[in-house]
Amino acid sequence: MKLLLRPTAKRTYRFLAEHKTGLIETAQFLALSGLTIVAVVVGLRGLRYDWAWFRVPRYLLHVTDDGIAAGTLLQGLGVTLQISGISLILAAVFGLITALFRLSRSFTANALAQVYLEAVRNTPLLIQLFVIYFVFAPIAGLAPFWSAVLALSLFEGAYASEIIRGAILSIPRSQWESSYTLGLSAPDTYRFVVLPQALRKILPPLTSQAVSLIKDSALVSTIAISDLTMSGSATVSNTFLTFEIWFTVAAIYLVINIALSLFASFLEKMVRVP
Amino acid sequence: MKTLGEVIVELEHVSKTFPGGIQAVQDVSLEIHRSEVVCIIGPSGSGKSTLLRCINGLEDVDDGRVVVDGIPLDKKKVHRDEIRREVGMVFQSFNLFPHMTVRGNVGLAQKRVRGRSDAEANDVTMELLEKVGIADKFDAYPGQLSGGQQQRVAIARALAMSPRVMLFDEATSALDPEMIGEVLAVMRELANEGMTMAVVTHEMGFAREAADRVVFMDEGRVVEVAAAADFFESATEERARDFLSKVL
Repeated sequence: MKLLLRPTAKRTYRFLAEHKTGLIETAQFLALSGLTIVAVVVGLRGLRYDWAWFRVPRYLLHVTDDGIAAGTLLQGLGVTLQISGISLILAAVFGLITALFRLSRSFTANALAQVYLEAVRNTPLLIQLFVIYFVFAPIAGLAPFWSAVLALSLFEGAYASEIIRGAILSIPRSQWESSYTLGLSAPDTYRFVVLPQALRKILPPLTSQAVSLIKDSALVSTIAISDLTMSGSATVSNTFLTFEIWFTVAAIYLVINIALSLFASFLEKMVRVP
Repeated sequence: MKTLGEVIVELEHVSKTFPGGIQAVQDVSLEIHRSEVVCIIGPSGSGKSTLLRCINGLEDVDDGRVVVDGIPLDKKKVHRDEIRREVGMVFQSFNLFPHMTVRGNVGLAQKRVRGRSDAEANDVTMELLEKVGIADKFDAYPGQLSGGQQQRVAIARALAMSPRVMLFDEATSALDPEMIGEVLAVMRELANEGMTMAVVTHEMGFAREAADRVVFMDEGRVVEVAAAADFFESATEERARDFLSKVL
């Protein structure tokens, strides 16, 4: 007996010693998961809410005579993606121009960029949206969709410009000097030497700015645009599926933003310099 | 000694003071002739690099005149642009463009400034890489090369512009000892081919062998200018003799 037991005990001990950190991690993870499940179950019981998840899918996709069509929520998602997509491109353009203005020696360009930055960064986006929608849009004959795009891109562009400016400033002076001695013009130096290097530094912070933009786009529901949030809100009023619909809407935002982040890290790997 | 060609670089009473009052260069006058190799030596902080950087306008002079191949380096952008096109420079820290391959580094200015086509630029690049002995690194990135190889790419990049004069700013100071030789060999070859060169260096061996003239600087002033052989055999100035006794 003794002869048989002793090696087993030894082996068990050695196993425990070797996998100490792994075992502790596993225990922690299981404990946390368990607590979360208990908390959710207890919480839901306390709510006394009648879940009706089965009623949700029709607001994502529904069957018509012609086949399957997008439901209210996916139609709203389409609008959100359009607004965010266009705003993202415009925000990058505004950001780049503002950054270059702030780096230029021109007093006017500097003042213009500075006023824009301070005005946009120090007032709430919601107010900016209202000002553009209620004040400028009627004057300029701007559709609500474009008011939303303009407000979002101006807002995110201001933040993007600081990211871009920081990245440009982080390119060492020696890169400018060697471009200078090769006879490259200033625009060429930006285009071929500085911006390509800055872009690699910009990608991670600009991705989180893009994620912010998509989340901030929910505000456009306040100016009568049926984006994802507006569609969610409308669906809730019609169905009283408050929790199910809002959880679904949140999950859709989550999926889109995670996909965006994954795409950005893929891009980062693509442009990495050996 | 070679017979002197026409003057390519002309410095007249050049002075440069940095913000904070440091007088980097004080009243320096110097002429560099076609095909001449001038080594500028002296202790750290003596203004050698600043003087070199005044030649192509990387530093603006406060006083005096700089003329390169007949073009005055003044406020006029056309003059400045022509001078920086015609003056090649090699830096201590190579300053290659890290996001471009060797081909991109050497080809960029050829295409954008000299207006060469892709094919022409590639031919010139290949030829120059062969000359500096790294033709196999055509598609490598700077990060994949050793210091010596990077510096040879930097030399090829400057030569690709067919400059009328080459400036070397401590081109070997950032290199491991075993790589200094390969870069000096390229510089020596250039000198033999008749390239006009201004070389700031701590390599006294190179100065003695390759230079036509040696300029000794201390505290922003030119203390002595002499033919290389004369300078190393019998420097006339006390300060220069003192310096040589420490570095040789």
